[in-house]
Amino acid sequence: MNPGDVAQSVLPLTSSDLSLLSLFLQAHWLVKVVMLGLMGASVWVWAIALDKFFLFMRTRKANDSFEQAFWSGQSLEDLYRTASAGQAQSMAAVFVAAMREWKRSFETQTRSFAGLQTRIEKVMDVTMAREIERLERRLLVLATVGSAGPFVGLFGTVWGIMTSFQSIAASKNTSLAVVAPGIAEALFATAIGLIAAIPATIFYNKFVSEVNKQAQRLEGFADEFSAILSRQIDERG
Amino acid sequence: MKLPEMKTGLAISATAHAVLLAWGLISFAARPLEAKHTDAMPVDIISDTQFSQLTKGSKNAPKEAPLKPLVEKVAEPKPVEDTAAKISEKPEIKAASAEPPPPAPAEKPPEAKPENKPPPPKVDAIAEALKKEEAQKKREQARAEAKAKADAKKQQEQQPKFDPSQIAALLDKRAPQRLASTGNELNPTAGLGVPTGSAPKLSQSELEAMRARLMQLWNPPAGVANPQEMIVKIRITLGRDGKLSGPPMVLSSGRGPVFEAARDNAIRALFRGQPFNMLSPATYDLWKDIEITFDPRDMFRG
Repeated sequence: MNPGDVAQSVLPLTSSDLSLLSLFLQAHWLVKVVMLGLMGASVWVWAIALDKFFLFMRTRKANDSFEQAFWSGQSLEDLYRTASAGQAQSMAAVFVAAMREWKRSFETQTRSFAGLQTRIEKVMDVTMAREIERLERRLLVLATVGSAGPFVGLFGTVWGIMTSFQSIAASKNTSLAVVAPGIAEALFATAIGLIAAIPATIFYNKFVSEVNKQAQRLEGFADEFSAILSRQIDERG
Repeated sequence: MKLPEMKTGLAISATAHAVLLAWGLISFAARPLEAKHTDAMPVDIISDTQFSQLTKGSKNAPKEAPLKPLVEKVAEPKPVEDTAAKISEKPEIKAASAEPPPPAPAEKPPEAKPENKPPPPKVDAIAEALKKEEAQKKREQARAEAKAKADAKKQQEQQPKFDPSQIAALLDKRAPQRLASTGNELNPTAGLGVPTGSAPKLSQSELEAMRARLMQLWNPPAGVANPQEMIVKIRITLGRDGKLSGPPMVLSSGRGPVFEAARDNAIRALFRGQPFNMLSPATYDLWKDIEITFDPRDMFRG
């Protein structure tokens, strides 16, 4: 083939056909679905990440202020009244649950402290589990996108390369102009997969460690509070 | 899945993605690679045989023409290198040499000289005309030479003065000239080929004679363990008289006393063997620059 002809046939292709939009539009429908799915996954991942970020910030702040109030020497009755007024979160929720159980035992006037200690601990455990579940909800989505995103993108790539090979076979021509659009489109799918997966993995690791930290803090508080209550029970009994 | 509590996160995330996508659409628009446009160069692939049998002719001749060199005069075959220059009867005069400048052709402008026109088809008439012309030329030349001698004497008498402003006058402003190409047969239209082509091959008998001469003179060390070490390839340039016109160039490389002895012996054989007058001067173009292989197995290959 005349080199001049080749140059002329290649130039318009590179100038017009490789923009991001046209890459998407000329892709096979399956690749399009993959791309859109990964795009949606990316949006969802970032939404979850932002939501979790705000949630953890709020929880940490609430726990800090509650701990300060708890150790300030304030009467537990007053603390209970203020905490149970609003929607108690995390540490406050554990405290409210334990206090409610304590008060209920005293209000019934049975004066039997035998099972009170175990009951309070059970109630605190349940509340803690619920709070931790709230913290780590949707983190599995991040893990899934982080591990499966590259594979989904790779699937789109393999499909795109298959079509580009078909176009080579159809045109019986291996010039770059024939191969390039298919390969570029295929690699675009992998790129989107990685764009979705990399933040998902990073956020997942960060939030899992954050959840563990919060859970430990809650557990520590529950143990301390249960020790205080146990002392109270022994003094009264 | 409770979406309302994630409204902020979702909104921020979607907006950020939309912005990134828009930015990508603009910045990832493909720019064509700026490659310099070079003109295509036509390349012909020819075999070794075709190369060694390049026919004499001119590069721009039509392919259908009979493959013959351009011949404008019947004489001993001597092709010209550049067919584009004008034909002149005189050998080319080189300007700006150390010798005194040649007689200025001011009185006798070259345009006035009857130039060799492409000869008409009839051979005899041309030959006669050419002879006549030649005679006339010779007379003119003799006259011009006499005049030139007188001029030169006069010039020598006058002291030459260096005048930088007249350098321009000394520059050779003539159009390039050449001698008429000669051959055994007149051929006004050149066939396709190159000016230095050499289609005829060295005759086998000439080569054999040369080999025989060199074989007599080459005495490589006998009875060595590795006779293949003694293979020596030498490139020589020969003058028209059949003598070496330059030092032989050893092309093969080797090491060790055996190779060195064989090499030195081969060079000595080449010097002692000259002149190689078994090579006919008619095919001088073929043997003016040849490679010879001194091989103890079949002694020589030209």
